[in-house]
Amino acid sequence: MSQPPMTDTRSGMDRSGPITFDRTLKGLTGIAVRGFLLSLVTFGIYRFWYITELRRYFWNRTIVDGSPGEYTGTGKELFLGFLVAVAILIPVYVLIFIATISAPWLAAFGSVLSFLVLYVLGQFAIYRGRRYRASRTLWRGIRLGQDGSAITYALMAIGWSLLTLLTLGLAFPFMRASLERYRINHTLIGSSRMESTARGRSLLLPWLAFYVVVLLPIAAALIAFLVAADFTIPDDLFIPKEGGKPGETEFNSDYEGTPIATFGELFLTTLGITIPLGLLLIPFYRARETRLFMNAASLGPVRLSSTLKARQFYWPYLVYLLSVIGFVLILGLVIGGGGLLLQAQGMESGFHWALLFGMAFGYLGGALFFAVLYVRVITARLWAAVATTTVVENAGGLDAVLASSRRVGSGLNEGLADALDVGGALEVGF
Amino acid sequence: MPAQAVHGTYYDGLSARAHPVTLVLEDSLEITGRDLRLAWTLADLAAGDTAAPLMRVGPAGRAERVDFTDETLAAALKDRCPDLYRTDSSASGGRLRLVLWSIAAGISVIGLAIYGVPAIAVRLAPVIPAAIEARLGGAVDGQIGKILGDPPVCGDAPARAVLDRLIERMTANGGLPVDPAISVRRHAIANALTLPGGRVVVLSDLIDQSRTPDEFAGVLAHEFGHVAAHDPMRALLAASGSSFLLSLVLGDLTGSTIVVAVGQAAISAGYSREAENAADSYSVEVMRRSGGDATALATILERIAKDDEKPEFAGLLRSHPFTVERANRIRAMAGSETVGRRILDETDWTTLKGICRNVPAKPAK
Repeated sequence: MSQPPMTDTRSGMDRSGPITFDRTLKGLTGIAVRGFLLSLVTFGIYRFWYITELRRYFWNRTIVDGSPGEYTGTGKELFLGFLVAVAILIPVYVLIFIATISAPWLAAFGSVLSFLVLYVLGQFAIYRGRRYRASRTLWRGIRLGQDGSAITYALMAIGWSLLTLLTLGLAFPFMRASLERYRINHTLIGSSRMESTARGRSLLLPWLAFYVVVLLPIAAALIAFLVAADFTIPDDLFIPKEGGKPGETEFNSDYEGTPIATFGELFLTTLGITIPLGLLLIPFYRARETRLFMNAASLGPVRLSSTLKARQFYWPYLVYLLSVIGFVLILGLVIGGGGLLLQAQGMESGFHWALLFGMAFGYLGGALFFAVLYVRVITARLWAAVATTTVVENAGGLDAVLASSRRVGSGLNEGLADALDVGGALEVGF
Repeated sequence: MPAQAVHGTYYDGLSARAHPVTLVLEDSLEITGRDLRLAWTLADLAAGDTAAPLMRVGPAGRAERVDFTDETLAAALKDRCPDLYRTDSSASGGRLRLVLWSIAAGISVIGLAIYGVPAIAVRLAPVIPAAIEARLGGAVDGQIGKILGDPPVCGDAPARAVLDRLIERMTANGGLPVDPAISVRRHAIANALTLPGGRVVVLSDLIDQSRTPDEFAGVLAHEFGHVAAHDPMRALLAASGSSFLLSLVLGDLTGSTIVVAVGQAAISAGYSREAENAADSYSVEVMRRSGGDATALATILERIAKDDEKPEFAGLLRSHPFTVERANRIRAMAGSETVGRRILDETDWTTLKGICRNVPAKPAK
């Protein structure tokens, strides 16, 4: 037991260091249960301490080349950041509100305007949140860091997003690669700068899978439908449903059997099949992207090398999905049984209070169950998949990394990410 | 017990280079490696955040640290270093304080949303410029139209003339901030809604269900009461303010969302009760002044808005005070001297009842 944690293979520059993660997840359930319940009773305020605890758990069980990472952030920093963000956001919301009601021509663009402002702020917050997490991460006593400008990053993000819109999504992988390069090129370990050579065109193939599976069939079905309808959709294709609620419509039976109906049905079926297929493709794309970004990152002679497989991303989602289906089925059976009992017993028996209580309990229990399951299955397994498939090559070069005397970023901006709900603060990953 | 040498790894905090060392616990923690000889005072040592069996210690406030996995040494250090987990040991007490303060803060925010925001809204609603209120009213009108399924506007010319004369009579000296704009829409629900900017939407079934012109006029006067009190603007301000406050500050954790939803429902209901009573009083006043039957509002209320069978169940969340209670209040205020008066003669009332003649009875197929 008195072996040093470092392995003795520290012989030269060309050795490779593994990244490991403790998959037994001992103690994680306790953290998740306590975090969920305390967040509930504190009206969500505890979430900053919860996420800090989770990060500490994940950081110090991830062992890079023999040494675990260390997270030194605190819940208090995140909470203060959140308070500052609220103070910034309230005037922004109020200004947008006043602008839209006092300038009539703006009113139509009110939601677009607020979306734009919040999107830019959100990107800003994501970048600064990452800076905070980097500055609270230590490895072998060396502090990580991030420089670069969050404003530049936010402007880049919005420019690329517009371009993505204009090119019908084709620019998306290039946006991802460009932003990744900016992030990694401004990430420092001690005083050594990381570098990324991520290229959007290497992501183009996995990205085009979405077009093949989703967009092309939809476009084909839509064109077929439009041709069948002579490019004019009749006004009375849907008519108000007789005896139905206001606004409720039904299919006009006059069109039954016409090409319009046939191809319309074909179009809807295509939508129904391809959109779920597209959702199923997301983990595949994410896995490919992660592997590519990992392989593109380097620190001087030190490189990362990832062998991540898409199936390692599918498995957690599959387990989670099956658990959700199982839970809903059980809950449905219980509620159905309760309903039958209620009918048998009659409303006056006071039994409906028991049922109501049971439902509230079931809701809370379900929420707790899913919160814990999410952390254990999705967060932890995805983290483990990325970590354990990555190897540090030429790890000997890491010995040359020197500490930096940089100023340490504050937690203020990650609070902004939380208040904007862009997921920055509640994500565990980097 | 003889001090045992333990293998460890030393990091100097300046570079990422790992130095293999041996650790011996004597009066101080002695660290020996190649070109390296350190002795750390036990009272200074603080432990890093690591997963067992890995243990990491270093002098507090300095970047140097040493990692080892020996459990005997770890236990011995825990015994002999007073400040090893100083930040951690206060953490549990800190957590309780945090939870209690958070609950207090949450309750304070909810209190602000329930009492503070409506109080602000009451004072703010009358000073909102009429132009802005009118614009908001237009937006809400479109929204309501969409929700109701775009009901057609009833505007049979003679009936409309009768209605306009009636409105003029009722609003004369009524102290309304704006001239109300009444539109009648064909819809199978007996109701009338007041929107910001003095817009009143009457759904045609209300006219169909009214047995006397005074019943209809009583409801109309009740809506004018809402206009006079700026109620729609007040409700809009209060609801958007409270929901904004609650969702922004409390965050969006699953359980809290319910609190927010129930809170909002309770706010709008508790607020409406007083507003409805005030509008009822206004209606009685107007009906008495313009020569109608002030008790007719109570009659039509009792006919249309019957109480649910289980009033105690959702009592707090109802947006209208209980009908019986309201009807009794109205009758008590109105007295009996106006009973039997008619605000319109039979001919005018028949004309008014046909206000939806201009729109077809059933929507075209």
